[in-house]
Amino acid sequence: MLEAQGLRLRRGTNDVLHAIDLQVRPGQVLGVLGPNGAGKSSLLGVLCGELTPSDGVVRLLGRPLADWTGQERAQRLAVLPQASTLGFAFAVEEVVGLGRLPHASGQQRDREIVQAALHAADALHLVERSYLALSGGERQRVHLARVLAQLWPGEEGTTLLLDEPTSMLDPLHQHTTLQAVRRFADQGAAVMVILHDLNLAARYCDQLLLLEQGRCHALDTPQRVLTPEALRAVFGIEVLVQRHPERGHPLIITR
Amino acid sequence: MRRRVQPRTLFICLTLLCLLAIGLSLTLGPVSLPLFDTLRAGLRLLGVPVSADGLEQTEMILGQIRLPRTLLGLAVGAVLALCGVAMQGLFRNPLADPGLVGVASGAALGAAVAIVGGSWLGGIPQWFSPYLLSVCAFVGGLGVTALVYRLGKHDGQTSVATMLLAGIALTALAGSAVGLFTYLADDATLRTLTFWNLGSLNGASYERLWPLLLVAAAVALWLPRRAQALNALLLGESEARHLGVEVEALKRELVFCTALGVGAAVAAAGLIGFIGLVVPHLVRLLAGPDHRVLLPASLLAGGALLLFADLVARLALAPAELPIGIVTAFIGAPFFLFLLVRRRN
Amino acid sequence: MMRRPAALIGLCAGLVLATQALADELPRRWVSAGGAVSEWISALGGEQRLVGVDTTSQHPASLKALPGIGYQRQLSAEGILSLRPDVLVGTEEMGPPPVLAQIRKAGVRIELFSSRAELDAVDDNLKRLGSLLGAEQKAAELAAGYHQQLDAVQAKVKQAQAAQKAPGVLLLVGHAGAKPLIAGQGTSGDWLLRQAGARNLAAHPGYKNLSVETLAALDPDVLVFSDRSLNGEQALQALLKENPALAASRAVRDKRLVSLDPTLLVGGLGPRLPATLNELAGAFYPVAKAP
Repeated sequence: MLEAQGLRLRRGTNDVLHAIDLQVRPGQVLGVLGPNGAGKSSLLGVLCGELTPSDGVVRLLGRPLADWTGQERAQRLAVLPQASTLGFAFAVEEVVGLGRLPHASGQQRDREIVQAALHAADALHLVERSYLALSGGERQRVHLARVLAQLWPGEEGTTLLLDEPTSMLDPLHQHTTLQAVRRFADQGAAVMVILHDLNLAARYCDQLLLLEQGRCHALDTPQRVLTPEALRAVFGIEVLVQRHPERGHPLIITR
Repeated sequence: MRRRVQPRTLFICLTLLCLLAIGLSLTLGPVSLPLFDTLRAGLRLLGVPVSADGLEQTEMILGQIRLPRTLLGLAVGAVLALCGVAMQGLFRNPLADPGLVGVASGAALGAAVAIVGGSWLGGIPQWFSPYLLSVCAFVGGLGVTALVYRLGKHDGQTSVATMLLAGIALTALAGSAVGLFTYLADDATLRTLTFWNLGSLNGASYERLWPLLLVAAAVALWLPRRAQALNALLLGESEARHLGVEVEALKRELVFCTALGVGAAVAAAGLIGFIGLVVPHLVRLLAGPDHRVLLPASLLAGGALLLFADLVARLALAPAELPIGIVTAFIGAPFFLFLLVRRRN
Repeated sequence: MMRRPAALIGLCAGLVLATQALADELPRRWVSAGGAVSEWISALGGEQRLVGVDTTSQHPASLKALPGIGYQRQLSAEGILSLRPDVLVGTEEMGPPPVLAQIRKAGVRIELFSSRAELDAVDDNLKRLGSLLGAEQKAAELAAGYHQQLDAVQAKVKQAQAAQKAPGVLLLVGHAGAKPLIAGQGTSGDWLLRQAGARNLAAHPGYKNLSVETLAALDPDVLVFSDRSLNGEQALQALLKENPALAASRAVRDKRLVSLDPTLLVGGLGPRLPATLNELAGAFYPVAKAP
């Protein structure tokens, strides 16, 4: 479980984040929404230890993040960034295998986990191929498999942070990815995911954090957060909110 | 995906290649020694009690000239190749080269100071003067690299992009300083400086060899232990950090390793280019970018390649000698162009 | 088993005599790494003994047919050993030092000769070369002749200077005319010019490039040019083409231009020097023709 108290991040004279309190609980998917520049990626940066907050503290499993050594932390906390700049012709299997670096689980077990993670990310058919020969969407799924492998099998005590994991994926794979993330959470992992698609967020998240200019506009269930008034205020769009006919979660329709 | 060579096959082939290179380096040369005599002399050097008649010259040439030269070639080739891998990992770019952090130009500056300055001072103690050039080159290389590293550090973090720019700037600065020394030098010193810049394994002796062997051994033992961390670094610095790698420490170690290794190699043999660029590339083309294979394979390939280049250097114009930097440039430059064209397509 | 004493003594005596003879034996196979030294060896009649020479040994032309051992400062130990020499001769410019150490360790004798531009160095070198070649008589003759010729040049110059002022001269060393270096104070070129009775207008030490303005301002009376790649008329044309500033100088206008073989500027004083000095003196003092 990952929690943040009173987070504040200043850059120059700007408050990029202000008074953020949140908890990423085991078994739950917390979605982060907000317009560009709202501070979503900065929030992720502070939560994973990449950025140091000017105020406030981040705790992983009760201990401040700074108290964890690199390897210990990597065994419990995995981060999937928005884009990858890997420019070397690794095999897909090797890229996913890098996720097992913090663990000393042995070659055989690592291989099994890699296969399982690729399967979960719907990328098993890519296993023998060269990373550089893949499309943008395929690469994204390979990296998803990598972070899944890092925390496999995703039991309680592990935390997964994802920054827009569906940005380059086709509709089918947007869903399969989030379904894999959902299944991971069902195993007990705590998951936080930054999304820009309101409907995907509504469908797959248990809680939503709506960020506006570094401040928390709302932190609650999708039903309570995704209201026309809130969306007008934060995103500046006029929407209709309806109930999904089969699944029951909010369905956002832009007018 | 393009078929890769299996690691085991690769290592067997490279080891055989290395042994072949060592064998040729010891048995071939401007003085043609009968193979049988060379073998007997070799056994004697190893301590095997074999009769010594008629072997005096063979033993001398084998033991005092060819053997130290072969060891020097192996050590320099291996170290340059390993540091090439390290730099390509640090800069996350397969076209990187140890010279990017300024170690080669710093060493050239150190050498220029020693060669030109030494001729001005004249008052260097006798026991030190053979080592003066090597020490100055080594200190120069280390100094410039330290400066590049320091310039790249900001807020406790080292920016690789800033280091790259700092390396380019300091290389240019060192180059102009060398130019100034060139201008101030007289004809004879100028020639010495030019030849040093072209690199040579000539005059290898055990006294000057052991510091390089120590450094080469240290680099060769240390770098492969960081192989998986280097793999992670290729994903990106943040990603590597998220995988638990101490990225700042790793970057510092890579820079230090390169400064030490390339500094020692340049101090011992002058500027020899392209090995650090070409060898890791070749190995990657054959066996992929996994550092667990890349590092040991580059070590073997680098040593072998430099010994083959030295064979050409020694025999092409015998009894004169071609500076080895020219041979490696002749091999390396076309290969580099070929890579660029291939990358474009 | 007792050997017969007489046979034993005879064997020892024979060995001693043999070693003596070997010690007296003059080196047969010579490798030379120094242009002037090679020339002296040829002048003393030892050319047949040479089995290898360096790149600065270009006179007489027949030396170029010998195996080349490279530049004198970058010798290869094994390369030289492959020629099976008895002795390696050269100046103190030979190198690199570790290679010389290896050659010594292989049992080859190394004889160093001075490359200083001084007459006593020439005397010394000739004496030692003479004894090494077994041509002491010839060496003494050459040394005496050398002194004589140089004295003759000095005398001629002195005589000429009574009637003429010493001309201001510049010595340019170029490569296909481009970027010529000017011989300054302390160089062998400077020595040549002064011996031939000229005033070297270059005040700087060593060989340096001078700016176009400085060249024009110095305005030499006579211009001596030496080109590493071209000869004679071609060299002159190239020089004037690359350096138009010279075209305005007195030397070019009066056509007082002398060409100089660049090999004379390196490696110490050689046997061709007196003739060259004579030529230069004749160019500097045109009225005083040699008898």
